Amino acid sequence: MTNETFDVLIIGSGHAGGMAAKILTESGIHCLMLNAGPVADVARNAEHKPAYELPYRGFKPPGRLEHVFQANEFNANVWVDEQEVPYTFAPENPYNWVRVRLFGGRSLFWSRQSFRLSDYEFKAKSHDGFGEDWPISYADLAPYYSRVEDIFQVAGALDGPPQMPDGNFVLDHDPWSQSMQRFMTAGKPFEMSVCKQRRALGRDGLASSVNLLLPDAEKTGKLTSIANAVVRQLTVDKNTGQPNGCLFIDRLSRREMSVKARVVVLAAGTLESTRLLLNSNIGNSSGLVGRYLMDQIYGPGVICSVPEARNGKGTKELMGGGAIVPRFRNIATKSDKFLRGYALNVTSSTGAVAPRNFAAYGVELEQKLKEYHGSAFHMTMMGEVLGRYENHVRISKDKVDAWGIPVLHVETKYTDNEYNMAKDAAETGAAVAEAAGFEVLSKNPVPNPPGYSIHEVGTCRMGDDAKHSVLNKWCQSHDHKNLFVVDGASFTSAGWQNPTMTILSLSMRASEYLAGEMSKQNI
Amino acid sequence: MLRRDFVRAVVSVSVAPRLLLSQQTANPAPAPPPPAPVPWTLGLNPKTPIPQTEVADGITETVQRFFTPVQLAALIRLADVLMPPIGDKPGALQAETPFFLDFLIGSSPAARKKVYEGGLNWLESESEKRYGKGFAKLDDRQAGSILKPLLRTWMNDHPPTEPHADFVNIAHDDIRMATINSRAWSDVTSSHAQASSTELFWYPIDPDIYATNSDGSQAPVHVIAAPKASHVMPEYSR
Repeated sequence: MTNETFDVLIIGSGHAGGMAAKILTESGIHCLMLNAGPVADVARNAEHKPAYELPYRGFKPPGRLEHVFQANEFNANVWVDEQEVPYTFAPENPYNWVRVRLFGGRSLFWSRQSFRLSDYEFKAKSHDGFGEDWPISYADLAPYYSRVEDIFQVAGALDGPPQMPDGNFVLDHDPWSQSMQRFMTAGKPFEMSVCKQRRALGRDGLASSVNLLLPDAEKTGKLTSIANAVVRQLTVDKNTGQPNGCLFIDRLSRREMSVKARVVVLAAGTLESTRLLLNSNIGNSSGLVGRYLMDQIYGPGVICSVPEARNGKGTKELMGGGAIVPRFRNIATKSDKFLRGYALNVTSSTGAVAPRNFAAYGVELEQKLKEYHGSAFHMTMMGEVLGRYENHVRISKDKVDAWGIPVLHVETKYTDNEYNMAKDAAETGAAVAEAAGFEVLSKNPVPNPPGYSIHEVGTCRMGDDAKHSVLNKWCQSHDHKNLFVVDGASFTSAGWQNPTMTILSLSMRASEYLAGEMSKQNI
Repeated sequence: MLRRDFVRAVVSVSVAPRLLLSQQTANPAPAPPPPAPVPWTLGLNPKTPIPQTEVADGITETVQRFFTPVQLAALIRLADVLMPPIGDKPGALQAETPFFLDFLIGSSPAARKKVYEGGLNWLESESEKRYGKGFAKLDDRQAGSILKPLLRTWMNDHPPTEPHADFVNIAHDDIRMATINSRAWSDVTSSHAQASSTELFWYPIDPDIYATNSDGSQAPVHVIAAPKASHVMPEYSR
């Protein structure tokens, strides 16, 4: 085994890497998968506990995971430790890089929202003149979306407008609650389409690479996987100049290892794949590796109460259910405040209203909580961040991680376009809520720091022109035909949509192309 | 040595190995004794009883280390005002929340300490200014006259940023969470009150013992949200 050259080296085991492994091994291609972290076994590594048994009563352990707002004491050990794998940024431009290195990556923990991009994203420049069009259209990716939706058992209704194409869904026939119907009526003057939520049901309660993709690959007998393999850099054949494997470090022993492969597929997550390319000084003839970092604006929103549902009157006919309002700005009309647009996640809740929605304490607060229980109705924003050259990552000159690998410096910030969009979301959400007869309890127009959405994309964007893009339309390096990047790094624009379905579809499409080229011995 | 003695010695030396060999064959010598009665790593097994232990919180007292006596007295009063016992449920004092916060805030980054220290000092000075006595000695009405104008509604991760309102609202949120997640609160069942958190806790997974030596401990302290010139951003961490 020590001198074995694999057909394909896949770095990363999340949705992107898992899909590549499934498609390639099912095509008879022998793959090696490296993952930087260990395998999580919930039966061995986790246990239900009350907060009082924990050292910090459920508070996030002080000083740890400062940039992971999603962390608490229960889940603190699943995220990448920011001291073990640090990154840098200027204090005035913070960045929240939220990472998981367990086998399966972030596919183990995601919100399951499952949307297709549309040609409002793929051909965004043609629509509004900003940025670049993708080298593919919706029609190119639609068949792959359908197959991915089948694997991930995406639930939804066939109610999407053109900016949110329908898919191959497990159909949702649940009736709308009355509070949702009131919201739909109130949203019409704002040209809002209120649609059923779209989320991956998965299997056995999980929609991850480890249960939906990797088992298929393992079944072929063509997949070899190694955990705790922290890849330092890609190696290059001295004679051909093409990538031919990698150097990696065993996470626990610090033993340095190497492996050879005919093709390298990067699927380590947008910024880790980019970091690897930059540290390897490879695939960057355009100078654009690391450029055009994007994500989505999260944080702004509105919390309301449905008056008729208070004091225990929130029946299931009145309350309950979720909806997605796909982007409605700059579709039929043009905003003079910002380009592109945002979606709203809408929830009608039968549960408790958070205490911070009341300016009260003590007995008065407890009475409010009791009165408002079961009447909550809230909206949160998912807004498109524009791709800008100046928003980028580069290798830090003086900082390394726990394995001596140079870390990333992130330099990105939101502009007036994003801030204006966020303000519009909070104001419009509140206006619709009031028109529906709801009481607005609190609202927030301020975005969370970039990165918070865990939807970082770009930095190796795809395009037809090798001088203005890193990858071609097959997620293949313009510089090296045996190098592919199949995670979110390839995105040319971010869209408002959660990127998972698109990452999976792009990885499937790229992997089938790669398998075809290998069978024709073109690679 | 006499010559006959020398001869006897030579004969005995030449005969001894054969005698020893014949003894081993016929009657093996006992093995040397083990270094201990049993190998020291063996013994624990699935049938081994697990000792019953209790969580120290709620049984023992926290040694107070961070806040000054005046600050702690103000925090105790603040906690009692914001979260008194209601019905069967204990209040913040019964849950020993002020002492837990002394530990939590004392373990936290400087920015968070500053919010609490500055906030408690301000409460004390404001109380002296208005009523000529420390916050710990104010009655409910007097304390409310200082606190109520600063109460705000706010969404997750975006507490108020204006001076003093930031402290009051963040402290209120922390006091509630620390109290509701205490053992004292959990021990009293109530269908009306907010339940303590019980979730899936992840232990360290294959922890890397080298990690604490990494060069990552100087990462800058984060702020709550993306700053913009027109927004005053808080400096504390969550």
